[in-house]
Amino acid sequence: MFCKILSGGIAGVSACFVWVEVDMDRGLPCFSMVGSLGSGVRESRERVSVALKNTGFAMPAARVTVNLAPADVRKEGTAFDLPIAIGILQAMSYFPGTAAENILFLGELGLNGELKKVHGVLPIVQAAAAGGVRQCIVPEANAGEGAVIPGIAVRGASSISQVLDFLQQGSGEEQERILPRTVTDAEKLLKTQERCEEDFEQVNGQELAKRAAEIAAAGFHNLLMTGPPGAGKSMIARRIPGILPPLTVKESLEVTGIYSVAGLLEGGQALVTARPFQNPHHTVSRSALVGGHAQPKPGLISLSHRGILFMDELPEFGKAVIDSMRQPLEEHRVRIARAGGNVTYPADFMLVCAMNPCPCGYFPDRNRCRCSETQIQRYKSRVSGPIVDRIDLWVELQAVELSRLQGACREESSGLIRRRVEGARARQQERFAQTGYRFNADIRAEDMERFCPLGAGERRVMDQIYRSLQLGARAYHRVLKVARTIADLAGEESIREEHLLEASAYRPGEV
Amino acid sequence: MTEKRKYICWFYSVPGMGSRTMDKLFARCPDAEEAFCAGESLWRQVLTARQTEQLRSFAKCISPDELWGRIKDNNTRFVMRTDEAYPGRLRNIPDPPYALFVKGELPVQGRLSVAVVGARDCSEYGRYVAEGIGRAMGECGVQVISGMARGIDGISQNAVLEAGGRSFGVLGCGVDVCYPSSNRPLYEKLCEQGGVLSTHPPGTEPRPQHFPPRNRIVSGLADALIVVEAREKSGTLITVDMALEQGKEVYVVPGRVTDRLSDGCNRLIKQGAGVFLSPEDFLRELREGWQCGRGKAAQGGSLTAPEGLSGRLAQLAPEYRKVYEALDFAPLSVEQIRRRLEGEYSGPGLLAMLMSLCVERLAVQKSPGHFCLSGDVQ
Repeated sequence: MFCKILSGGIAGVSACFVWVEVDMDRGLPCFSMVGSLGSGVRESRERVSVALKNTGFAMPAARVTVNLAPADVRKEGTAFDLPIAIGILQAMSYFPGTAAENILFLGELGLNGELKKVHGVLPIVQAAAAGGVRQCIVPEANAGEGAVIPGIAVRGASSISQVLDFLQQGSGEEQERILPRTVTDAEKLLKTQERCEEDFEQVNGQELAKRAAEIAAAGFHNLLMTGPPGAGKSMIARRIPGILPPLTVKESLEVTGIYSVAGLLEGGQALVTARPFQNPHHTVSRSALVGGHAQPKPGLISLSHRGILFMDELPEFGKAVIDSMRQPLEEHRVRIARAGGNVTYPADFMLVCAMNPCPCGYFPDRNRCRCSETQIQRYKSRVSGPIVDRIDLWVELQAVELSRLQGACREESSGLIRRRVEGARARQQERFAQTGYRFNADIRAEDMERFCPLGAGERRVMDQIYRSLQLGARAYHRVLKVARTIADLAGEESIREEHLLEASAYRPGEV
Repeated sequence: MTEKRKYICWFYSVPGMGSRTMDKLFARCPDAEEAFCAGESLWRQVLTARQTEQLRSFAKCISPDELWGRIKDNNTRFVMRTDEAYPGRLRNIPDPPYALFVKGELPVQGRLSVAVVGARDCSEYGRYVAEGIGRAMGECGVQVISGMARGIDGISQNAVLEAGGRSFGVLGCGVDVCYPSSNRPLYEKLCEQGGVLSTHPPGTEPRPQHFPPRNRIVSGLADALIVVEAREKSGTLITVDMALEQGKEVYVVPGRVTDRLSDGCNRLIKQGAGVFLSPEDFLRELREGWQCGRGKAAQGGSLTAPEGLSGRLAQLAPEYRKVYEALDFAPLSVEQIRRRLEGEYSGPGLLAMLMSLCVERLAVQKSPGHFCLSGDVQ
């Protein structure tokens, strides 16, 4: 008796169909599995046979062969337990042969037959919906995640016997009663998400740093903050997600897909609703940051997709680690090639870095800072040039003064700042409507003239800035891009002199 | 005679050969060529075992002919204490160097010569003053001696040359080595409009132990020494000690008591050093007995406001003028600058105004959030 059950596997963050083929025949009793199986899948044999036994279906004394097709694609994970079990049950004729048609199964089995959470449900359900599949049966803990996708019925089951009950029913109503369809309203979920408690209201002073954070958020520019220890660099960084516009459904699906593949969604969590914020320690390894491992997994830069990667104490990160971000920063995705295969993960993140201005932390206060210019240069040069080139905004924080800490002055709330950011974003959306761009930070040199046109007076100012500040070509373009965002924040159609001048202030400074 | 110099030059180029050792050797054997040819047998009688060893390994390294050829190729002169060209001022200091390697000229005896020294990591205040002094000295035809180092040394020498004056750099390495390499343009200008000199043979790399003896020559070549900025413990103070030992006048640019970069200067003033108030004041005290240029320029002038600067300031819009006046030579944060100003300034607006001053080269952005007056007002 032969049958086949539909399931799915993950490659990178995209999914593909996997057919679980089960054949049961007379012969010496044995249970064998083939089809490029990883260790997690191979162990499935034990889980399935024990789970079936404990649910009341002893494995038949027959020769059982399971093949996971296509057989040349490597299979990983534990999500094939359920389709294998269902395949065996069908081969044993526990339910009509047509009952499992056009249903995709995913799930890990416990020895008692319960269904457990698996990784990567969202991309697989997405691929299934696109491929014309009408129903999915997944573990209960993953149902919300899958149900985000429209056009496909996702049902969450808690045990294998429940799934069998479902398949044995003839009528749709009965089926609906046993395994009701899960419904997730993504729009509503995103709207009702609670804002984070960290608010810019709580940051006293540091007006320029806040301003730079606002500009960075509006144009998705990368930001570097310098300042003495304790000035509030990480405090500001943590509050940037709060001034970014909320995730759109499309963005949220992208982010949820990555978190789903990485297995980082909490049980029952349907969507990632908050902008990601990742804050790796400076001992982070290269593959943990950009992704990797013999079987590729998304790294922190992909987990910060559409959100923020905050690197505190930037010069302490390994040079190789920092350099490995160059290509992802440029292309907004990372391609990982391993013996196990090539995968591409999205990595469109905003890089926020923090560092001390010099080894002792007090430069440019020459009364306290005894670092020589060479030492300062050496310290700065630990952050390699190509990364510096990708950072549009440099800003400095001052040591906080007591009066500011005690002062009752009202600071602007994140909500207010976010409204301005959203305005600037809307303006960018309009500008880039027919282009591949999303934000001002992405504008390439060749399109500078088109999107950042300057009037005669502004051109003269820019020439002066270029000459007297001795900017390079890249720095010149950085100033233009930032000025474009400042103008967007101010609601101006064209870039004005003061925008250029302010933009030119966000640079490393002279030692 | 050239033949003989070749051998003297060779002996002098051996590491560790000071003028006393040279004297000792040539007292025993006045002919340098013979002294070289006699070899170890003679050297061992006069010199220590270590020196003999040095000579022997140097002889293996390079022959007098080769060395001489290399010096000539370099356009370098070898000037001995006994030569006419040897600077008279140096001859009068205790233990004058036996000889000098010179590229370009040497300071002229009949002209006033001033050494300007100070901190390498100087402030904008130091930059401003050093530049002012350099310019004034250049215009008055005063020769400026310094060490061509980063900071005060290089800044003052550059200003002298810009003003068309003459300056001399005393190096702690060979005269064909430019250290620090960032001073390459200055080095080249010095070779044309003055000279660089050293006691080390061409090709010698800069070493920390070369610099204190170098300072002795800086002060030795000058009639007076001006210290612009120095910390409490600073190499500049070694130069001051040398100058006092050699009987030279020492003038010090006073600084604020809160500036650590001026601590060394203020202490010198307390100990009785001359106070440098302006080039004019300084030259008036010194110039008696010296030939200097005539006319207004030769007076030296003051350091308060160079003529070009006041013209540029007059062109500034009043609100920019106010921001300019709130600046200081010490770097101030934007917040501090705002507090010095009357009226409401928004952070980003003030930032744009400050950048505009930077573009005009009236201010300098020291770090992303700190600004100060520009010391470079040329």
